[in-house]
Amino acid sequence: MSKEEKGGLNGVVKTFRNLPGFWRASLNPWLIRVRNHPERLAFVLHRVTGAIILFYLLLHILVTDVPAYHHSWSSWQSLMASFNNPANHIGEFIVAGCVFYHGLNGIRLLLTEFFGVCIGKPERPKPPYIPPTAKSCQRKLLYAVFILAAIFWVLSGLIIFGVWG
Amino acid sequence: MALSDLKAATKVPPKEVTIRIRRYSPTTGKTWWQEYKIKPHRGMTVLDALLEIKAKIDHTIVMRYSCRMGVCGSCGMIINGMPRLACQTQIAEVATENNPVITLEPLYNFPVLRDLLTDFTNFFEKHRSVKPYLLRNDEAEREEPYDQYIMSPEEYLDIYEYSLCISCGLCYAACPVAAADPEYLGPQALAYAARYVLDVRDEKPEIRLKIVDTEHGCHRCHYAGSCSMVCPKIVDPAQAIQRLRHILYKWKLGMWRKKTARTASAPKVWKPRKPLPPEVKPVRPDIDYEAIEKEPVTIEVDGIKITLRHLIPTKADKMFGEERKRAEAQSS
Amino acid sequence: MGNASRLAIWQYITAIILIAVLTGHLIERFPPVTHQSYEQSLSPSTFYSRLKGAWGIGLLLLAYVALFHGLNGIRGMLYEWLPGRRREKVWDALFWILFIIFASIATYTVIALPAPTLPK
Repeated sequence: MSKEEKGGLNGVVKTFRNLPGFWRASLNPWLIRVRNHPERLAFVLHRVTGAIILFYLLLHILVTDVPAYHHSWSSWQSLMASFNNPANHIGEFIVAGCVFYHGLNGIRLLLTEFFGVCIGKPERPKPPYIPPTAKSCQRKLLYAVFILAAIFWVLSGLIIFGVWG
Repeated sequence: MALSDLKAATKVPPKEVTIRIRRYSPTTGKTWWQEYKIKPHRGMTVLDALLEIKAKIDHTIVMRYSCRMGVCGSCGMIINGMPRLACQTQIAEVATENNPVITLEPLYNFPVLRDLLTDFTNFFEKHRSVKPYLLRNDEAEREEPYDQYIMSPEEYLDIYEYSLCISCGLCYAACPVAAADPEYLGPQALAYAARYVLDVRDEKPEIRLKIVDTEHGCHRCHYAGSCSMVCPKIVDPAQAIQRLRHILYKWKLGMWRKKTARTASAPKVWKPRKPLPPEVKPVRPDIDYEAIEKEPVTIEVDGIKITLRHLIPTKADKMFGEERKRAEAQSS
Repeated sequence: MGNASRLAIWQYITAIILIAVLTGHLIERFPPVTHQSYEQSLSPSTFYSRLKGAWGIGLLLLAYVALFHGLNGIRGMLYEWLPGRRREKVWDALFWILFIIFASIATYTVIALPAPTLPK
């Protein structure tokens, strides 16, 4: 860190820090323009959905504690009644989408990062020079994650907005 | 994939391209965009265009380059938003007749010294920090090896891809984690660590696994895969880091033991040489092959007869000067 | 040096537990399985029987595991966003403090939940 701030060539030359920064890297999947690269989008979505879910989880734990905290169920029922409005349903719908995407992509990341499978095998580079990461089955898994998460999201929307069930 | 379009060199580039360069002056500390117009020819690379601008329009542009053929890894820069090697990028690949603008920026995540020139000091320090060399139990033997390490073709192929790295820094520039965290080891250093951890000739993987097992080591990778997508040598650092991490977890849980190469040494005492098998007998015993070989061969070219000398060397062939002349006279 | 993988391994172990327990938790509110409407599945009696039964331990485990997984994920992001030795100690402390506070709230909920007196 200190070296970076002092600048290159042992601090002799004043350098310009060309870092895009945390927010641009975490929120913009098109920070570098590479064609056919859904993993970067998956990375950004995983971060954003994770943050939303954590925010919801903390609220969820606090809300669930209400009847135990007040030692009565009347506060719980009034709270649930106040939650029954469209704005809250939309929020719930967004959280449901986040959970489905984060969970399904999490399975893919578990397989690749923790178990070290689905990442392809090293090979001799040959035309058309596509890296094994882009050819391996994790890419197919990723497309499956996008499709399944979308299907589950639509189903959860049907339940949340009272169309089904 | 820096080489995504293999037929780019056969395409015709636009008649005139505008090259926008993000420039930086260390004396004033200012950055600005500057535009140059050039007329490219077929097969012209971005580096050629930069050199033409430097030669004919503005000699104050600063960039790093050396081999001009994608081997040294010096000319990495952001070309139209993607980290690429300028020498391996055809103008026809990045500019079209409808959009003849090429935007050049210095590599992201590196301190910029001037214009397109970036400072690789930290990058190489991180590379050195993972000990990118073979570690052996016997250090004296490592420095002056007297044996050979046995490595099968499969074991070689396992690390061959990672050993192609030219340290151009494109993966580091593409990495979303390195974009925020300057202490992160980066895809290049981690891929190199994986390359030596997986190498059967290396005997001390624990040292390297401890180096990458930090908060700014391999756990910060989130498999965005951008490093592999921009690598000009198809090194695939993303795959290497996942394999390294998998090994690290297995090692931490006591489930991984490294397979190391045996050494193949030359025998201390030379055994007597095996005698050669007896010579093969002539196919037809009625022909004297030696006599045929001694016969001069005469061929006719355009009516002129040329006599070729016999193929078995005579005594005269082994002599020189006066001695040879005398021997030749005697034989004739 | 060399101990970061402890938390990282737990991040993956909690993820594996989450997949199983969270699926169960989501099915709890899936009308075709519970034969209750979406709103009905939050009634005090259902809620009480869910938390006080054997599944209550599963839900408590879900709370711990999800808290660890989520807060550790945010801790990793803070390491990236604002690195530095002193700051990193603050992030570690913040992680454990938040984890203990919210884990104890969740435990209290399961232990001290009063029986619903209202009719269904």
